[in-house]
Amino acid sequence: MGRAPAFLICFVALTMGALPVLQGAETVWSGLVIAENVPQPQPIPPELTRIEGSLKKFFGYNQFQVIGQSQKTLKTGQEDWLATSKFFGLHVDARGETKAGYVLNLKLYKEKELLLETDTKLSKRSPLVIKGPQVGGGQLLLVLVVE
Amino acid sequence: MKTFEEKWTAWVDGQLSGRELSEFEASLPDKGAAEAEKAGALKLGELLKRELSARTLKNEEFFSHQLRESIAGLHETAGEQAREVRSMWWTIPRLLWTGVASLAVFLVFSVFVMHEKNPTEESQYLTQILNARVDPVVSPNATVSMFEVKQDRVTVLWTEGLQSLPADYAAK
Repeated sequence: MGRAPAFLICFVALTMGALPVLQGAETVWSGLVIAENVPQPQPIPPELTRIEGSLKKFFGYNQFQVIGQSQKTLKTGQEDWLATSKFFGLHVDARGETKAGYVLNLKLYKEKELLLETDTKLSKRSPLVIKGPQVGGGQLLLVLVVE
Repeated sequence: MKTFEEKWTAWVDGQLSGRELSEFEASLPDKGAAEAEKAGALKLGELLKRELSARTLKNEEFFSHQLRESIAGLHETAGEQAREVRSMWWTIPRLLWTGVASLAVFLVFSVFVMHEKNPTEESQYLTQILNARVDPVVSPNATVSMFEVKQDRVTVLWTEGLQSLPADYAAK
């Protein structure tokens, strides 16, 4: 075997081995979503495309509109941020990173009133959907996705 | 027109005939000496033919010849086998490069296997809800439950009984 192919194989293998390390910083998208049934539904937001089927199947609505959102790039896994709409606020407090994802504390506020609190391990491969309160004829959903 | 030498050779070989033969013999200065020389040349030719032709092998010589060929064949086979044995032993640089290449292939496959998660290990890569609480004052009858949709890898925290709000709250 010549030396050039051997070096090439080593380079490719080491590069591929290093990929997971290079993928360290990841972005978490968190959104406040109003799900409704309307005669002419708007296209689903791109952040929700990958879970569109599950959303429609489990919540039974045909339109999903983002009323508040936030994108946060996690570097240390200790960051916190807020996704807000006019009346709701979702406070996300990251409390560390594990091999599978991030440990998050989530608090849903209606104005200054705490409605719901949960602790979760958000997987990098698995979105989280929280069913919030009924709002008019629709439903408030909280969605978190590691992008 | 043939030269004298050509005619002489043809005469010795007995290939002259008719008028050509009589003319040539008439041109010979000493026919007796020429006849003697022709007879000598013919004798020499026969001798050479007899001595230089392939000698027929006797039985024992034939078997001996066969044996020698067999032994020679065996030696050649043994030589080839020795060469094959020698080629099975790789040189150290060749072994080193083969080892490096094997290691690289192993690493590549390891990466792919690590990326392709085993279905039995999949559950630990789903989002897990550790706990959930609702404000008992605001929503005293609220309950929470959780489930996973493994097909889409979605985890759902399902609440019931939260205080309903007017449509105005859907504003951005």
